[in-house]
This record gives sequence, structure tokens and C-alpha cells, in this order.
Amino acid sequence: MTRVTENSTAASVQYALNKSKAKLEDLQRKGTGLRKVGRPSDNPMSNIEALQIDSSTSNNKQFLKNAEYALVNLNVIDKSLEQVTNILQRAKETAIAQSSDLYGPHIRKNISNEVIQMRNELLAVANKRIGPRYIFSGHKGLTRPFDVEGKYYGDNGRVNVEISKGFFVPINLTGAEIFAPMNRVSGGVQRSLASDRSGLFGKFDTFIGALENNDAETIRSLLEKFDHDLERTITLRTRIGSLIQSIEQSKETLESDNIAHAERRGRIIDADIAELFSDITKQQDILKASYQASRTMLNQNLLDFMR
Amino acid sequence: MSDLLSIGRTGLTAAKKSIETTSHNIANVGTEGFSRKHVVQQTSTPIVKKGTLQGTGVVVRKIGRSYDPFVEKKLNLATTNHSFLKERTEQLDQIENIFNELKIDGLNKVLNRFYNSFRELSVNPENETMRSIVRDNARLVIKDFRRIRETLDKLTTTVDARLEQEIERINNILKNISKINLEIKGLEVSENDATDLRDERDLLVRQLSEFFDVRIMEGERDQIDIMAKGIGTLIAGKRHQTLIARRAEKSRSSSSSSGSMEIYFQSRPSEHVSEKFTTGRIGAMLAVRNQEHRTLRQNIDNIAFSLIQSVNAIHRRGFVGRPISSDGQGNILLRDRIGPTTGIDFFAPQISREGAARFLKLSNAVEEDLSNIVTALNPNAPRDNRVALAISQLQDQKIMDNGQSTLEEYYLKQIGRVGLEAERARINAVQAKGLLSLASNMRERIAGVNLDEEAANLVKFQHTYEASAKVMKTAEEMFDVVLGLKR
Repeated sequence: MTRVTENSTAASVQYALNKSKAKLEDLQRKGTGLRKVGRPSDNPMSNIEALQIDSSTSNNKQFLKNAEYALVNLNVIDKSLEQVTNILQRAKETAIAQSSDLYGPHIRKNISNEVIQMRNELLAVANKRIGPRYIFSGHKGLTRPFDVEGKYYGDNGRVNVEISKGFFVPINLTGAEIFAPMNRVSGGVQRSLASDRSGLFGKFDTFIGALENNDAETIRSLLEKFDHDLERTITLRTRIGSLIQSIEQSKETLESDNIAHAERRGRIIDADIAELFSDITKQQDILKASYQASRTMLNQNLLDFMR
Repeated sequence: MSDLLSIGRTGLTAAKKSIETTSHNIANVGTEGFSRKHVVQQTSTPIVKKGTLQGTGVVVRKIGRSYDPFVEKKLNLATTNHSFLKERTEQLDQIENIFNELKIDGLNKVLNRFYNSFRELSVNPENETMRSIVRDNARLVIKDFRRIRETLDKLTTTVDARLEQEIERINNILKNISKINLEIKGLEVSENDATDLRDERDLLVRQLSEFFDVRIMEGERDQIDIMAKGIGTLIAGKRHQTLIARRAEKSRSSSSSSGSMEIYFQSRPSEHVSEKFTTGRIGAMLAVRNQEHRTLRQNIDNIAFSLIQSVNAIHRRGFVGRPISSDGQGNILLRDRIGPTTGIDFFAPQISREGAARFLKLSNAVEEDLSNIVTALNPNAPRDNRVALAISQLQDQKIMDNGQSTLEEYYLKQIGRVGLEAERARINAVQAKGLLSLASNMRERIAGVNLDEEAANLVKFQHTYEASAKVMKTAEEMFDVVLGLKR
């Protein structure tokens, strides 16, 4: 038979109570934060996963911000391209009308004023800004891309932003691409377009000159060129459109990712409230029972019965 | 007739001794390390009288104690083990707190913000405000690297200071044990029992067991020799060794950091014995200091160093975010009135990996002028964001572990390891606590006092006393009868 002594009894009681209380305290700690993982050692793997989720959630927040910004830019570009298309359309119609020999020099002179107006509109579009920034000057965002003569002062710089992990989209078109298509010579920047008759401004200049000089032949020759430019602008617009679409799509993906992340994080970090509180209640009952049992054990000995 | 009187007397004496011992037991029910005493008595040498062997009463041989050396040994071992794991848990808890990023915005969060601020800067490269946000975020990164590094250093310092105190306590215990050894020798030569001193000595040995694994060898005349496992003899009879704690230079330390506290034998002060302490509280403190603190410090330095190197390498390639003028031939000026226009470091470059986290700071150029935060690969290109983009891309580049992991992965691996170690230590500590209380209970069951038992004994010995007195009274009456015959 095991011998029982005062100290062994007391120690057993203490150990049992302490263990029970420690468990309760742990549960309470989890209860107050409503978390089952409150420190790395509670569950090392979940802790790390949660931190990874936090990182990618905050990355996503930035990506969403970038995407918004890209959309603003691309929409402005889209709008600008629409305006360019309209101006070209009008110029082409005018050219068609003026390509016949129906009109005399006097009328052509008047028409030329209209075309000058078109050219000014085109220049306004080319020098469009968002905030302090010119959108069509490539990397030289603070430099006005075109002067009155139609000379290009920007560069070929392409601005990319990251709108989801590793997915970069260009958010600009350079003035050269839209207004002065160049042969794809690498590094060719800052071309004087005034002398280059293939540039848009050059074509308008030619058109204006032809109208003033009553030169129907030249006007006719411009028709095909305007057509070509129209086609090109529309192609650019399509490209911008499809970019906008893919950004929208990636935004949606990011948002649904964020929801999935939050869900997963909750599952691995947050405590299941129902389970937690039922555990706490259970542990409280166990502690109470230990108190009861200890009371009868500690309070009596033989001396009580020997009087 | 006188025989009878003397038999009665021996009974009386023995009963009184037993009552004394019982009282002693009761009085010491709460004394730590006390073991139950009992009177060992036997019949005194019989004599032959007229051809018959006749008893002469009882004699008290000695006071014994309830004691089981195996249980004692088990308890000491459990004590060593428990105090190792308890200390380890406490130490790892403190480390773990540094990395509890669920509660605080730790390095992972600030690094993430740092990268994302570059991402945002890549959208608005010409924006002055964004540059200052980038700089603020970089400062937070620097602050957090320092926080981690300095907290780790502080933990090490605390361990060192505590080591010094603990060694002092160990020396005290050693001194006391050797003193008791001497006293026991003196007492037991003069045939006195020294059971209480032995209890005291056992308690001291148990206290010593908290510090490291202790081996006991029974020597001559019930003196004990004490060896620390793997370290050597600490006590031989009345002589004891003294340990000293002293700071060592880097090359001779066990933690390979300068000024770390090491343990020496006073008699052999040239070579430290720190590495031999692998058990108990001392073992736990040294292990955490020499492994966990050290590895983490190195790895945090590694992270800081790689960050500095990789960010600077990219940052240096670009041009500042202010207009740069050219000389007559159209060449860009590499220097203007603010400073260089390219080749600028973002963080102040560090020469060595060691301490990179502690000495991490922004370069003077970035500290002084926001336009020195480089976003553009080409000069005079305010909308060129390629440098900013490249820096933000560092987030996903495997620049740690020889191209095995990204900075974040590497850092999270550190947290994971700390978490795992802390978890394991805690689980083991709970288990060790259980084993300790089991062993301690086992000892108490054998050596402890049971008041019920003592109460019963008290009654029993009181009765013996009364009966022995009755024997003497009977003898007296018998004398009276004999003396009355004369009349």
C-alpha cells in the first residue's frame, strides 16, 4: 500500500490545481484575444502562414492602388486617342472634299483655317497633362512633348507599373508612337518632326500648305496617309482597351484573393468562439471539482477523532 | 529485583526517546528536505541467571531516517531536467516575444511596407511626397532591425549577468556541503547521529541539481564526494572547488562574441569549462546564449547586409530625381551643387556582415536630400521608374541562402525555428514538471511525515511509557513487600 504523507498530499493537490489553472489561463488568454494563435509557438506553421498571408494582402492592397492609377492613366489615353481619331476623321473628310477640283483657291483658303484649328486641337491633345505630368512625353514627364512646330521633346520611355505579382502593364504611350510614327530605330529619340512629313503634324502642315496653295494633287496624296494613320490610331486604341480590360480582370482577381486570404487567416489564427468557450466552461468545472476533492482531503486527520 | 527496576527504566527511556522522535517528526512536518525519523531499538544483551537466559530490557541503537538513495537520485535527475527545460522555456519565450508579429508590427510588416512604398513611388516617380514616404518607411525598417538586434544583445547581457549570480550561489552551496561533510565526520566519530545534517546535505545537493547534473559518491565515514557530470569533481570530502565567472575575449569565448561570461575553475583559470555545462539551468542558459542568440544575431545581420547590398546595387545604377545639366559636349554632369548625380547608395554601405543590423542606416545623401532617392535609370527622366520598380522587385528575389530563399522566406524561417523550439521546450517543460512532481511525491511518500501515523505512534509510545512506569512501580511495591517481612 502506498504511504501517504502530509507533503505528498499537499503536493498532489497543488500540482493538480496548478495544472488545471494553467490550462484555464491559457484558454482565457486565447479568449481575450479571440485567437488560437497569439504567439509563434502556439502553432509555428500557422503563425508563418499568417505572416505570409499578411504580406501578400498588403502587397495586394498596393497592387489595387497601382491598378486604379493605371486605369486612370489608360482611360485618359483612351480618351485622347478617341479625340485624335475624331480629328483625323474630320481631316480625312475635309481632304476627301477638297481632293476634287470642285473648290476654288478662295474656298480652300477658308478651309485651311479649319484645318489649322484641327492641328491646334491635335497639339492640345498631344500636350495633355494629368496633374503636373505630360502623358505623352515618355520618361520626360515634366517636359512639354510638342512645341508649336510639332517638334517632339519627349523620349521613348515606357512606364510600367506592377498591378499584380510579377504582372507589369505599360501605362503610357509616347508622343512618338501616336503622333510621329517612326521607323523602329532603336534609341532614336527627339526627332524633328517638322521636317519629317510622315509625322501627323507634318501631314497637317502639308495639308494646310496644299490648301493655301490650292494643290489638289497633294491633298489627294494625303488621303491614303490619313487612312493609314486612322487605322494605326484605332489599333493603338484597341491595345489600350484590352489593357484596361486585363487590369479590370486582375483587380477582380486581387479582390477575390483578398477575401480568400482573410478567410484562410481567420481559420488558422482566430479562435473558434463556440469551441473556446465550451472549453473554458469545461475547464472551470474541472477546477471546481478539484477544489471540492481537495477540501475533503486536506481538512481532516486522526487527531480530529481522538478527543 | 533490581533487574526489574532496570528493565523498567530501559523501557521508560526508549519510550521517551520514541516520543521525542515522534514530536520531532511532527514539528518538522513542513521542513523542506526533512525525512521521517524513527527510533531503532533492540533487546539489550540477555544474561544467564541460574541456568536460564533472561532478558534485560530494551536498548536504543540509533535514530534512523526513512531514505531511499535511488529515489533521491531519481529526484535529483528530475530536478536537473526540469530546471533545464524551465529555464529554456523562459529564455525562448523572451526571444519569441521579439518575433511575435501577430501582436506587433515587426520586421516582416515594415519590410513589406518598404517594398510597397517603392512600388507606389514607381507609380509617382516625380512625386516628392512619395519619396519622403519611402524614406520614412526605410527608417522604420532600420528601427526594427535595431530593435531586434538590440533586444537580442540585451538578452545575452542578462544571461551573462545572471550566470555571474548563479555561479556565486553554486559556490555557496558547494561550501556548505563540504562544511556539512566535515560536521558529519566529527559527529559520527563521537557516535552521535547526524540524520538531520544528512537531510540538510541532501537538500543542498538537490538545490545544486537545479544548476547541473550532479553525481554523488559515498565516501569514507559517510562523507560524500560530488561530481558534476562531464565537468569533474567539485567536492571531495571537506574540500571543494570554487567556480568563477569571468568575461572572456572573443576568440576564447564559447559564444564567439567578445566579453561573454565564461565559467572557470578557480584552480585552472586559463581554460574555461563553459561548454561542459550541458545540463540544468546553467546548461540551458549557456545553450540559449551560444546557439539561439548567436544564430539569430548572425542571421538578422545577414538579412540586413543582403538588404543593404541589393538595394544599393540597384540604387547606384540610376540617376538622381532632379534636373541634371550637361557640359558643352552634351555629356551629363556627374556632380552638381547638391552632390553626385549617380552612383548614390541608399543605405550607408557596411563593410562586414557582423553588426550590419545594428549599424544599419540611411546613406548621408538620402538623409540629406530627397532628390537623391533614385527612381530613374536615365538622367533627366522624371517619369522613369525602372530603378524604383527593380527595388520593389527585390521582394521576390531569392537573395538569401545562396539564392535559395527570398528575404521574407529567410526571415520567416527564423521565426518558424524560434516558434518550433519554444513550442517544443514548453511541451517538454510541462512533461518534466510532471516527472519532477512524480519523483518528489515518491520521495515524500517514503521520507515524508504522516500526521495520522505520528498521532497513532504518540498514543502508542505514551502507553509504552505508562506501562514501563507501571513496571517500575510494581518493582517498588515488590521491594516494599520484601522490606515488610522484617516486622
